Amino acid sequence: MTDQQQADLRHDEMEAGTTTGLASPSVDVTDARQNSLWSDAWGHLRRNPLFWIGAVLGLVFLLVAVFPQVFARGADPRSCSLSNSQQAPSADHWFGFDQQGCDYLANVVYGARNSLLIGLLAVLVVLVLGVVVGAVSGFYGGLTDTVLSRLTDVFYAVPFVLGAIVVLQSGVIGRGVVAVAIALAAFGWMTAMRLVRSQVIAVKSGDYVAAARAMGASNGRILVRHILPNAVAPVLVYTTITIGVLIAAEATLTFLGVGLQRPAISWGLQIDAGQSLLRTAPHLVLFPSIVLTLTVMAFIMMGDALRDALDPRQRG
Amino acid sequence: MKLSKRSTALIVGGLSTAMVLAACGGGDDDGGSGGAAGDGGSFSVYIGEPENPLLPGNTNETEGGQVVDSLFTGLVEYDNETNEAAFTGVAESIESTDQTTWTVTLKDGWTFHDGSPVNAESFVDAWNYAAYSPNAQGNSYFFANIVGYDQLQAGDDGSQPAATEMSGLRVIDDLTFEATLSSPYAQWPTTVGYTAFYPLPPAFFEDPEGFGEQPIGNGPFQAEEPFVPGQGITLTRYDDFGGDAPANAESVEYRVYAEQDTAYTDLQGGNVDIMDTLPPDAIASAESEFGDRYIETEQGDITSLGFPTYDQRFADPNVRKAISMAIDRQAISDAIFNGTRTPATSFISPVVQGYRDDACEACVLDVEEANRLLDAAGFDRSQPIDLWFNAGAGHDAWVEAIGNQLRENLGLEYQLRGELQQAEFLPLKDAKGMTGPFRDAWIMDYPVAENFLGPLYSSAALPPAGSNYSFYSNPEFDALLQQGNSAASDDEAIAAYNAAEDVLLRDFPSAPLFYRLNQGAHSENVDNVVIDAFGRIDAAAVTVVG
Amino acid sequence: MGRYVARRLLLTIPVLIGASFLIFAMVYALPGDPIRALGGDRPLAPAVVAQLRDDYNLDDPLLIQYAKYVGDLLQGDFGTDFRGRAVLDTITQRLPVTIRLTAVAIAFEAVIGIIAGVLAGIRRNGFLDNLVLVSSTVVVSVPILVLAFVSQFVFGLQLGLFPISGISEGWRSFLLPGLVLAAGSLAYVARLTRTSVAENMRADYVRTAKAKGLPHRTVIIRHTLRNSLIPVVTFIGADIGTLMGGAIVTESVFNLPGIGRAVFDAVRQQEGAVVVGIVTLMVFFFIFFNLVVDVLYAVLDPRIRYD
Repeated sequence: MTDQQQADLRHDEMEAGTTTGLASPSVDVTDARQNSLWSDAWGHLRRNPLFWIGAVLGLVFLLVAVFPQVFARGADPRSCSLSNSQQAPSADHWFGFDQQGCDYLANVVYGARNSLLIGLLAVLVVLVLGVVVGAVSGFYGGLTDTVLSRLTDVFYAVPFVLGAIVVLQSGVIGRGVVAVAIALAAFGWMTAMRLVRSQVIAVKSGDYVAAARAMGASNGRILVRHILPNAVAPVLVYTTITIGVLIAAEATLTFLGVGLQRPAISWGLQIDAGQSLLRTAPHLVLFPSIVLTLTVMAFIMMGDALRDALDPRQRG
Repeated sequence: MKLSKRSTALIVGGLSTAMVLAACGGGDDDGGSGGAAGDGGSFSVYIGEPENPLLPGNTNETEGGQVVDSLFTGLVEYDNETNEAAFTGVAESIESTDQTTWTVTLKDGWTFHDGSPVNAESFVDAWNYAAYSPNAQGNSYFFANIVGYDQLQAGDDGSQPAATEMSGLRVIDDLTFEATLSSPYAQWPTTVGYTAFYPLPPAFFEDPEGFGEQPIGNGPFQAEEPFVPGQGITLTRYDDFGGDAPANAESVEYRVYAEQDTAYTDLQGGNVDIMDTLPPDAIASAESEFGDRYIETEQGDITSLGFPTYDQRFADPNVRKAISMAIDRQAISDAIFNGTRTPATSFISPVVQGYRDDACEACVLDVEEANRLLDAAGFDRSQPIDLWFNAGAGHDAWVEAIGNQLRENLGLEYQLRGELQQAEFLPLKDAKGMTGPFRDAWIMDYPVAENFLGPLYSSAALPPAGSNYSFYSNPEFDALLQQGNSAASDDEAIAAYNAAEDVLLRDFPSAPLFYRLNQGAHSENVDNVVIDAFGRIDAAAVTVVG
Repeated sequence: MGRYVARRLLLTIPVLIGASFLIFAMVYALPGDPIRALGGDRPLAPAVVAQLRDDYNLDDPLLIQYAKYVGDLLQGDFGTDFRGRAVLDTITQRLPVTIRLTAVAIAFEAVIGIIAGVLAGIRRNGFLDNLVLVSSTVVVSVPILVLAFVSQFVFGLQLGLFPISGISEGWRSFLLPGLVLAAGSLAYVARLTRTSVAENMRADYVRTAKAKGLPHRTVIIRHTLRNSLIPVVTFIGADIGTLMGGAIVTESVFNLPGIGRAVFDAVRQQEGAVVVGIVTLMVFFFIFFNLVVDVLYAVLDPRIRYD
């Protein structure tokens, strides 16, 4: 998904990192202020219809991913007969049949699990990498910062999808769900790192940090107790949006033939198989595309709403 | 043998083609079909970007092969109908008393496009060049059965080859030379019609690199300008052509297209005249759209499901037959291939002599018998079986269909192993790494039955030397093959090859699946377009109308 | 300023080297034997394989291979692929396609994105504002893969407005893929412009201008736009480099023979020289346009001074 996603990553960095009010050291970590920030945000979030649309969609897909058999209308996604090949949707089979003659509704429904799993796993790795490298880089500064920042630049400069393609093509980590998640994260952590780094730099010169230091707190304690909590808000926004972005990226990699492999069930595989039959059986591309889009949209809407709620400047 | 790079182009092209069909529109009319030029007119042909310089010894794919074929004429040519060798080429005769030492007599009066004569040395020098390993020519292996080939190969330690000329090739006089084979091979005269065996003029050896861009051949067309990468090459009729059938047209333009479906749009708009292959999604509608300008030709190839005979699980021929009998080939062809595959009924392709349309009983769907055989063999059905194929070449769908049929008909779970690209898949095949049935495909080098048997199942063809990926080895089969190779007449040879095939049918190292049908089409500007069993257009035969 | 540019240029060197080495090492680590694959199902003669492996330095250790590659590169030699074709030829043949695609995409992004953003930003919470907000969320959410297919299907096949694939119809061929490639950034440009315009509308100098009695129109065009577009222009500039490196999917779906397609094909065939050559080029573009943007920023916004 290179094009859009890379752009998105940049956007989010710009929005969440450079322009949010949270980046400025004026935000204090005293409990009272933190609480007011979050309750204020929640109050705002509650009134945002986009958030509710996103949240409901996300919840539905989560349920589908956990209990696919409930939504598949009793069909087994792997019970196939070539005699049904490419049949159009009907009352009994809402999504029709794919080229192999398998019930398509069941296949699309079962595809949710892999997509969500990869999105969540990848974002977890992105967070861990981003927070660790970013915090170390921003907190220690100097040579450490220079080296880590240049390293980040190197990864940043390599086109996102291309890097993931090469990692997966190498086969070192296999081609399963975990492998795809790792490959995506390996070239997607840089924005999180920059976000955290800039937050840490902004906050570490604050008075309360100096105070904590004066009271004899160790570096690790200052980092974990005082600095990181301040970086949470923008990272949270970024994370929510990124889950959607990563789910779309998984479909793209799989479409390009380097992601998940058959007989795994995934929307990317379905779109890939359907594209050459678009003339004869357009529903094969249509259904997974719609579902994929709605899933991505759910996370992006939630992320957007979250950003609006957490950033007073964005409010109208 | 070689993989056409089209196989990859096909997949990528997929959808866009679909849409091109409906969106096709006119376009400018200055395409390659200006019938008014000269007396014979000119026409244009779609090709993909050739992979190598245009050298006979290094061209083993369809794109460059099409151009090289127009520029060169070999010792023999293949009949477009029967695929038998015909002495319409440079050779007057190719004779032997023992099927081992062959005397080649050339016709007088053939010349290269630069005026130099085509003589015995033109062939012998060209073959030695192609066989000499430091020249790194892809078609080197075609000469491996000539005595002295080994001395032209660099050693494993990187040492230089011991000789530069094969001792088995001997020039007798200007128009005669002798080739000695390391073992008898009655079909040898048929093999020498292939691209690898074309002659080269002295000019080649002075500048091999420049020659590769603008070859000087002895064929019906000549190159007056070099090949332009990404664009193509225009060839003009060679008026001093030595053969009986000179080119009908004045010139032919081979136009390079990066994408097949772009070419197809041009074909529909009349901007390119001939496509020797059509995008997969266009096939369903092309026949009605082009009518008698749609050409379907049987290809000299076979796709099989190879079995790892070295794996204990697949060691019993009955297990292999059972799997084969659980596959409904026709259903797969219809659902996955749009009906463009013919279910295989033999190890041999229908385009060559020796094919029998009822040879393979285990190639017919028979679920009951399949289950009976599997039980009799004591096959463990609780373990899934791995199905192997190379990634990124569009094999997923049909292999998955086979897997689904195995589950439905035999109650076997399957695991698709299509994650490896050729670069990794082939070495694994070489190393006995297949843990289950695998895709095995073969395109014939030359139209003889032996080419579907020896290179795939003989002991001599065990990897890494050959393509016997089943690692099947049976002295009885080898002996019958040898008997066919040494036979004095074609009938005797074919009888022996069929006997050898019977051994294969009994031992069943692989399950024949499909023969491919090739689809092509041409514009209204040309006629007499023939596409042969190699998927190549006979450019000289094409006539330009209007 | 001169010193700043020089320093930035120096800093790009390690990034360029690091990125090319990263990609070189990853291609090197790809399993399998590309030479073996050249012969297809029929193995090449062993001695031929050995000769080819030697020709392409495939048996050297990673660092030696990389050093040889960089050595050649510094002399302007990008190497050859396994078919004997110069990588530079591939690049020069395919780069124009990618450049045209990027140019069309950037044009869409700038024109549509800025207009939509300005209209939305002038009247916050108006109908247009909400329309832009919602539609940009939708556009950003549609995976480019889906967007490409849908637009091919609707505009190319059903309506027949655009060629569906290939580049045979000149600039017209680039309109649809350009729009698809631009979509995500376009939505972002609209939002960025909207925020920026809205902020500037509230700024003191605009209030002053209004107070002076200048016409509404003049205020918007002369004062607000000029200042609000600075972040937009710099974003679009930086996006050039991103789009050039990111067109793999678009080029694949629309069958455009650009460098994105070339590099993807090359990865699958393990054409190391092609992959490294093109990626290095992409990285270069990326870094270059980011540098240009930073300098541009300083020029456009007098508040920023690099020392």
